Amino acid sequence: MDREEIHLISRYSNWSEKGVEQELAEHIYASPHAWRRFLYFLFISMGVGFTMAGIVFFFAYNWADLPKFVKIGMVEAGIICLTGFILLSKFNQSIKDIVLTGTSVLVGVLFVVFGQIYQTGANTYDFFLVWTVFISLWVIVSNYAPLWLIYLTLINTTVVFYSQQVAHYWSSLFIFTILFFINVLCLVISIYVSKTKADFKVPGWFTKAIALAAVTFSTIGISIGIHNKFETSFAILQFAVIVFYAAGLKYGLTIKSRFYLSIIPFSVIIILTSLLIEISEDQAMWLFVSAFVIVSVTLVIKFLTGIQQKWDYEQRL
Amino acid sequence: MNNDYNLNAKLDLIRQSEGKGFVADENSLLLAFQRIEEDKSGLAIKVLSIAGGFLATISFIGFLLVAGLYDSKMGLIIFGIVFIAGAVWINKRFELQILDTSVIAVYIIGFCLLAFGVSHFKVDKNILPVLFVIISAVSINITQRYILSFISILIINGSILLLIVINDAFNLVHLYNVVITLCLTYCFLKEAKLISTSTKLSRLYDPLRSALLFSLLAGLAFVGKRGIVKMDTEFIWLSSLIIIPAVLYLVFLVINILHVDDPKRKMIIYGFSILLLMPTASGPAIPGSLLMILLCFYVNYKTGFVISIIAFIYFVGQYYYDLNFSLLTKSLLLFSTGVLFIIVFLFTSKKLRADEKY
Repeated sequence: MDREEIHLISRYSNWSEKGVEQELAEHIYASPHAWRRFLYFLFISMGVGFTMAGIVFFFAYNWADLPKFVKIGMVEAGIICLTGFILLSKFNQSIKDIVLTGTSVLVGVLFVVFGQIYQTGANTYDFFLVWTVFISLWVIVSNYAPLWLIYLTLINTTVVFYSQQVAHYWSSLFIFTILFFINVLCLVISIYVSKTKADFKVPGWFTKAIALAAVTFSTIGISIGIHNKFETSFAILQFAVIVFYAAGLKYGLTIKSRFYLSIIPFSVIIILTSLLIEISEDQAMWLFVSAFVIVSVTLVIKFLTGIQQKWDYEQRL
Repeated sequence: MNNDYNLNAKLDLIRQSEGKGFVADENSLLLAFQRIEEDKSGLAIKVLSIAGGFLATISFIGFLLVAGLYDSKMGLIIFGIVFIAGAVWINKRFELQILDTSVIAVYIIGFCLLAFGVSHFKVDKNILPVLFVIISAVSINITQRYILSFISILIINGSILLLIVINDAFNLVHLYNVVITLCLTYCFLKEAKLISTSTKLSRLYDPLRSALLFSLLAGLAFVGKRGIVKMDTEFIWLSSLIIIPAVLYLVFLVINILHVDDPKRKMIIYGFSILLLMPTASGPAIPGSLLMILLCFYVNYKTGFVISIIAFIYFVGQYYYDLNFSLLTKSLLLFSTGVLFIIVFLFTSKKLRADEKY
């Protein structure tokens, strides 16, 4: 029985509180096994997380009395010790993955310390770029989803800083177009890889996170494009969005995921809303937009409910 | 049709443990099972309904502002009441998922109209939030459908926070936090009692659980981010007075679940927990979000679990960012916390994976 069924049966019967309690404890609530697993990962994640944060703050303090050799030496010793631990210890793979994620943060610290000491005058984007480049191998080898997510965040951050500090002439529309393409590319690759390679299991939350990022960038990009002067990248973005949204909807239908079937239509609704506002800003239009949003969202939900029933029916056959 | 849900098998199973006195209204149950089948709403649909409702509300307010219709005070109040009542009535009468977006939009627009209207009259500033609390409470009493109840509970708690803010009584946020913490813990841990007490409470359980989680998050944000409100910092630990014991109570429950019987080991676990929690007394948002993580994991509430983890990471970061120590002291604090956790991990890892491989 799932939770909803327990709630319903309890509502329409005289099932005793004790009985419900027992049913919930046995079949719904976290089991002793789940608790052990949770605590195991909670302790190591908190341990690595807080320790790394402590190290980052320590070097941010930029202790003037500390000789440069000691500063850089400490970080490098840390990196060597941790990689040594990963290679030689007998802990299981997940623990090593968590430690490697911490080590990747240390690589960033190393470049900050390097920049601090030698006053390299590098831009922030340089820093993110080298950090990204130098952890690439670890990311690929460990193939650990949280590390991949950090890696993608670093890539996106590098692009944003590059556009702010070097490529001043990039329009905001162009930046969102690039960000959209980067994330869509990663999404397509991760879906492709998880389909074709048996030992590459990409967790669902990971693909959903990138998909959400990509759709957010395209929604903002197109909405900016609608309100601004026409430029070439707008045409490219429009074309790409049409192609990828269509592909995304088809993919959502194939794998029976309501996630893709709700974020893409919602993005389209927002885009159409901003188009309507661009056409006219008078009172009738605002009222129309309000009605348009209600009707369109309702239609999407109607569709989603219908398709879910169909899927459930197919599953029962 | 009955076979589809295995209803009889499930009821028989319960009858076995409950004895002969167990009676179920099988016809209503079958109808209810069919209904959830037709009306199945996952997270995607809920978020879509709420986001759509808010977007529609924003453009409607845009319409009011552009059209200049916000001047007729009686008109606004009357329309506000009609909208709210209409939303509640539609919700009660039809109970259809596809109407949820419209219901939410109309409901929130009603509250906005009412707020515009009342603000034209020179009345006491406290009247509006109190009015909102009363209206929401009445509508929860009339209809207990998920989304409308969820929004109503948020409006109630939001109005209470608003009352605190407009009266500059910021230290009352601690009282708010304490009350919401107690309600949340009770709601999570006493699920069986709440759903078997009355039909209304049973229907209200899911929206209550998620809304309380968000309400506590809002209260914690007040104490978790310095400068949001002018609060006396020396009394910031007041919220922790209840939150930390609540976390310890969960530690007690987990100890029971894991069958830790050795008194010495129990003492060590409590000792470590207190040692780790004490320093967070001055940042109640940290133990608060930790409590949320533990509660959500305990009852297996996945969405809440993810939200709590994100909140925890944010509040820890914010706490250290706001802390008036030098970076070196902060670094030592963080580092020693990390080392403490690694030690705990090393001591427990064998025990925790004694009977299984991860």
